[in-house]
Amino acid sequence: MASIQEPIAHSPGTRSRNGATVELTSISKSYGDFVAVDQLSLSIQPGGIYGLLGPNGAGKTSTLRMIIGIIVPDSGQISVFGEPLNHTHKDSFGYLPEERGLYRKMKVSEHLVLLGQLKGLSHAEATERVRNWCERFELTAWTGKKVEELSKGMQQKVQFIGAILHDPRLIIMDEPFSGLDPANAMVLKDVVLELAKGGKTILLSTHRMDQVERLCQSICLVNHGRAILEGDLSQIKARYGRSNVQVKYDGDARFLEERRLVQSFNDYGNYVEVRLVPGADAQELLHLASAHARLSKFEVMEPSLEEIFIDVVGKPNA
Amino acid sequence: MRNTWLIIKREYLERVRTRSFLVLTVLLPAIMTVLMALPAKLMKMGEKPQHVVVVASTAQFGETVRQQLLSPLANVNEDDEEGSTNDSAKKKPQNQYIIDVDPNPSDAERATLQDKLSRRKIDGFFWLTDDAMASGEVSWYSREITYFSERSWLRETLNRMALQQRLLSNGFSAAQTDQLLKPIKVQSVRIEHGREAKGSGTARLLEIVVMVMLIYMAVLLYGISVMRSVLEEKNSRIMEVLLSSASSTELMAGKILGVGAVGLTQIMVWIVMAGVFALPALAAQPNLGELQVSPLVFAAFAVFFLLGYLLYSTMYATIGAITTTEQEGQQLQFLVVIPLVLSVFMLMPVIRTPDSPVAVWTSMIPFFAPIVMYARMVVQTPPLWQIALSLVLLIGTIAGLVVLGARIYRIGVLIYGKRPTLPEVLKWLRYAKA
Repeated sequence: MASIQEPIAHSPGTRSRNGATVELTSISKSYGDFVAVDQLSLSIQPGGIYGLLGPNGAGKTSTLRMIIGIIVPDSGQISVFGEPLNHTHKDSFGYLPEERGLYRKMKVSEHLVLLGQLKGLSHAEATERVRNWCERFELTAWTGKKVEELSKGMQQKVQFIGAILHDPRLIIMDEPFSGLDPANAMVLKDVVLELAKGGKTILLSTHRMDQVERLCQSICLVNHGRAILEGDLSQIKARYGRSNVQVKYDGDARFLEERRLVQSFNDYGNYVEVRLVPGADAQELLHLASAHARLSKFEVMEPSLEEIFIDVVGKPNA
Repeated sequence: MRNTWLIIKREYLERVRTRSFLVLTVLLPAIMTVLMALPAKLMKMGEKPQHVVVVASTAQFGETVRQQLLSPLANVNEDDEEGSTNDSAKKKPQNQYIIDVDPNPSDAERATLQDKLSRRKIDGFFWLTDDAMASGEVSWYSREITYFSERSWLRETLNRMALQQRLLSNGFSAAQTDQLLKPIKVQSVRIEHGREAKGSGTARLLEIVVMVMLIYMAVLLYGISVMRSVLEEKNSRIMEVLLSSASSTELMAGKILGVGAVGLTQIMVWIVMAGVFALPALAAQPNLGELQVSPLVFAAFAVFFLLGYLLYSTMYATIGAITTTEQEGQQLQFLVVIPLVLSVFMLMPVIRTPDSPVAVWTSMIPFFAPIVMYARMVVQTPPLWQIALSLVLLIGTIAGLVVLGARIYRIGVLIYGKRPTLPEVLKWLRYAKA
């Protein structure tokens, strides 16, 4: 973890390196002058959901593509399931790329069977699994239709089935919930959680902090191709402490300018989220605030991932 | 291998099942047949038998001329293999002429005939009086300018008649005159390896032309569909999913072979259809007997056609990987078309001197080999090492292009947007080292 400069990013002792499902050791990738991934290291433990988090263009997709072997890093090592990455691992991966793509003219069931076969399933086995999964995702009525006749949301479900059909040990999903309506997102989320409970390792990449916060046990926060924070989500949050205050008030806002206590604040309209100077006492701010304004809410709370992110890298571009 | 096979199967089935495939397979030969048969049919429809009158001093001589003009023997000496007089030969079957004999050579008769001619009662008449024959100047009256071929046929026939007449009057017997007037026919014989080889020049040329046309057609029809299919895959963004399951080389090879198999299927269907419908007509052609293709040439045809097809489709696939839209792809098509056109340009010198250094070396260059080497083999079997070297180079180039193309493909399909410059493509090749 030499590449991670922030000492707080470490959460030592929580991981046993040897059993990692995915282990990246300072991998780099540049396209011409553009450095997409810069000395990135991370370790994904078996089981559970791991979130790769960062703004658009942070290097998430490049990192995922390198893990799958679609692109090769310029330097650094990748090992999966304890061995250096090679082409025999492909069948143990399930991949849902951000750029969804299916053969538009193919029938749904035939398409899924093909994807299963490409991952090593027999025709019969693939057919059977396609039937079961399509039932689960309420696609049975559509299996005989051409892909192009399906709605975008349905196509996304088809794509997801294609990624998990062969029962892979590692499922890699790039922005899996984008483009899904809430109901379908819920179905997908349930399946993802179920797979995680069943012992699969899930690597999920997104720029949506709230999803990561709800689903992931561990995260890696990347920006400009570098890992900024990595480790167990609850430990990361604990390290940041309960140094956040949500305030709802009427009247004079001068207390927010108190540099001695307030490190930064973010006005959300309905309320203001205040980040305290490390070591500052929330009670002191309460006194100050109540002296100038009418408070309807004053709550000390855990920092959100978004705040942690902003705190570490400044405002995200996305 | 399994993945390549799966891709081939998908490409093949998806294409063959479409309605457009069926329509094209059935309709194209139909359209071709109509297009080729229609002009001939139309010409036939406009033609009616020519009504010709032979005016002679005696009915007997007139009848002899009539027989000669109608006899197929009259064109024996024109029927050489170059085919240049085939047209006139075909024009002369008996049923195209109705010939009457008029043994009444008077000025009044001539006026009557001229009148009939202008009133379209007859199409022409000969003035073949004994006087005219003796003087060597006979006349042919018609409304239209006589075709050169027709005139030469008339001249030949009448010359023979006149000669026969003169010989007979000089005391030769009929048998002797026939003997003396027997026409000469030139037969060309090609010597290969000290032995007479079968097949006339025309037949040889035909073999080469068929090859060139088939390669052209296959490359232009299916090479483009390989390119289109790569582009479609790029635009539908399915590549990334496929690449997570199979290598780019497997995908590339599967695509080229799958689309290739579709093309071959279609060509096979057409050949079978052509065989069924056109063979009876072809069998009537006089040159067909000489079109005996040796097993070696047939094997060469199959091998060079397949390899040429593979080479050019691989080039198309690579173009598809580099570009993002079909228009861009078509702009780069010259990369494929130029070697094809150049090979055709080189055909004539190669056929004339198939063992000249230029012919030997162009047949080694993989981009020309499918057409040039094949042409050399048809004309004169080159040394075995040359054939082997040409094949090795061709296969090596195809393999190299597949790997190279697959690399560009892999990076190219993941990068959307503007077409890369050549330095960028070279850079991609470096990225895609594994």
